[in-house]
Amino acid sequence: MDGIVGVLQFAADGVSQQQQATANNLANSETPGYGAQDVDFETSLQQAIDSQNGGTASITVNPDTSAPASNGNNVDTSTQLVDAEEETLQYQTVVEMLNSQFRLISGAAGGSFS
Amino acid sequence: MTLFGNLDVSGSGISASQTWLNTIAGNIANMDDVTPTDEATYGTQTPVFVPDSAFGQIGEGVTVTSIEEGDTAGIVESDPSSPLADAQGDVRVPDVQLGTQMVDMIQAQTDYQANAAALGDAKNAYQSALTLGT
Repeated sequence: MDGIVGVLQFAADGVSQQQQATANNLANSETPGYGAQDVDFETSLQQAIDSQNGGTASITVNPDTSAPASNGNNVDTSTQLVDAEEETLQYQTVVEMLNSQFRLISGAAGGSFS
Repeated sequence: MTLFGNLDVSGSGISASQTWLNTIAGNIANMDDVTPTDEATYGTQTPVFVPDSAFGQIGEGVTVTSIEEGDTAGIVESDPSSPLADAQGDVRVPDVQLGTQMVDMIQAQTDYQANAAALGDAKNAYQSALTLGT
């Protein structure tokens, strides 16, 4: 991981992919036999940050293991809708943190801090 | 995935729900059709949903691959006053279940709303990305 900007950039990418997975799960909430997808980047990012000499983080796609309904579909619309809201706020937070970081760099370089 | 691709994912869900609503409207509109007993009648239409996804990758939405047509044999009813009735006074009517269609309609509407909500969320996230560095 290459500094704070690198970590935030990776997080933004990860959250965006989570959002895609959530949108896709909702789009397939009526598809018979469809298994929901779950995207994880937090575990790997945490490990990369914790490792002493800068590890590499990765984004993985995992099947959602919750029990399917009679048509073989295991998408829970309400959970997915909550996830969608949460991911949007998370994304906005990451973007805001990146912007703060850029303002700090700009100020340190003799420009404006605001 | 294209630029702002998450919008397309929710968009595919919205159009799938719309297609479902359209078939339901068609089914209800045709539930009182009358045909002679020697002809096929209207078969209940149901869309077939298939996910757009490659193995091990995040899916890219849903596609309606076809519209399945239900049983066209329908129900033979006695209606001697109908000009289409056969010698026994029977006509053929579609086997459209109004209750099922109404429940499906609520479901399709909820799906539409859920996809529209996810579309709004994706738009908000992309809009915040556009503020980067400003």
